[in-house]
Amino acid sequence: MKEINQQLSSLIDNENVERQSLDALINDQAQQAIFSRYQLIGDVMRSDVTINIDITAQVMAEIKQQPVLATVTAIKSDRSETNVVSFVKRFGQYAIAASVAGVVVMTSLITTQPTVENRGIEVLNTTPFGGMVSPVSLQANPNQTKQALQARHQRLEALLKDHQLQLQIQP
Amino acid sequence: MKKPSLFTALVATLLLFLTPLSLAIELDGKEPVSIEQKEQYTAIEYLQLMQQAYQQKNYELLYLSSLQSQLEPMQLIHGVVADQQITYFRYLNGAIRESLQFNGNISYFEQGTPAYTLKSHQNRSVFANVANFDYEKGKDNYEYVILGKGRIAGKQSIAIRMISKDKYRHSYVVWCDLKSNLPLRLDTLNQSNSVLEQVMVISLNVSDDINPWLKKLTQQTLPDIVHIPQLTTDNSSQWQPNWLPNGFDIIKDDQHKLVMHENEPVSYILLNDGIVNVSIYISTKKIALDKNQKLIRRGATVLYTEQRGNIEINVVGDIPAITAQRLVKSMSLVKNDH
Repeated sequence: MKEINQQLSSLIDNENVERQSLDALINDQAQQAIFSRYQLIGDVMRSDVTINIDITAQVMAEIKQQPVLATVTAIKSDRSETNVVSFVKRFGQYAIAASVAGVVVMTSLITTQPTVENRGIEVLNTTPFGGMVSPVSLQANPNQTKQALQARHQRLEALLKDHQLQLQIQP
Repeated sequence: MKKPSLFTALVATLLLFLTPLSLAIELDGKEPVSIEQKEQYTAIEYLQLMQQAYQQKNYELLYLSSLQSQLEPMQLIHGVVADQQITYFRYLNGAIRESLQFNGNISYFEQGTPAYTLKSHQNRSVFANVANFDYEKGKDNYEYVILGKGRIAGKQSIAIRMISKDKYRHSYVVWCDLKSNLPLRLDTLNQSNSVLEQVMVISLNVSDDINPWLKKLTQQTLPDIVHIPQLTTDNSSQWQPNWLPNGFDIIKDDQHKLVMHENEPVSYILLNDGIVNVSIYISTKKIALDKNQKLIRRGATVLYTEQRGNIEINVVGDIPAITAQRLVKSMSLVKNDH
């Protein structure tokens, strides 16, 4: 086993590897898992900025447990023959229209620092969830639970995306 | 003795050459050739030349968008075939996000999700807002001033400032290439003259003919068109703003559903002044809002929320917070008893 791992390692390092061990890798799931882990380690060591963690398996497992999302995955299969696709089926993708338009995604909004120029209007100064200071501010407002905040952010994000969409489809 | 005489002779000859030359330039000034001659354009003329260039030329821009210390490199390729504009746009960093717009369609491509097409004649590419503005009409609300010359993306360029005449809109500084007239930089400024957002070209390539690759793209089959349902029942929002900033008109007034958020029904009004768009959403209050969470700002974009009894009003747009606030205050139900 250790020997194969070594071969894997050299494969990642772009060294020559025998065809046989490559085939073995392709056919062995456990080996594939090790391979991707090695790749990740390599990424970290080379300190690549974008670390490619493959969480597909976990996400798929999660999706299977959620009935709502399960229907979304079903859409792919019943792709209609016509060129026109039902709006509701594709709604999730409007997120793209917003992001390609080059505008606001909520996560960046939340982390936004309040600007100095305030003009008497209070600025949303929520530190990101899991951030250092957030528990204090959350405790300070018993009405504002973490969940409520999250729900509100989701809604505001939907508003921003709808704004982008309306601009694109305006007559 | 020899040196000064040589010098005076030189000056004399130079003067001799220069005087008729400058005269000649002034005489046949219809065909501008040199940069010096272009100085006769006014600020508004420069802006109008920029508009034409942005819509009619074949060019490729590499540019950076900078927003609250975040930089995003992007690419825009524009071409014209038989009076048809073709625009290709993409992000250069991170996940692949591209769009292609021509012939009344805009297609979006993103890594990991199926591509789709929307019916749209709306050009929303990087400089589109300043390139589609009616500057003559805009004189009511903006003053145009030539700031001076500079160098952007290695090109000699001229900076023109659009100063808002009131406090209800942002001001802009547009930098245009003196040779191609194309826009090279756009700063969005607030009342106190600090830069809220900046777009800056770092590479500009202008060609006589359309990029062959771009032309080829237009022959590709487009992704499926997504159909957006129009609500057939009473379409108006039932709400109205009793105050609008100068120059703003109501473009849209309807009720629709937030497809991205549980199909929540909203009353909707879209305002436009030729440069910025402002959306007003009126909906039922779902979550009580904390007092200090009324305003979110990112770059020039503002999202202002106000709750009134069971109603929540949201304003989104590239406007100062004070404008959003006043708009929300002015909202009222349309009276049906007339």
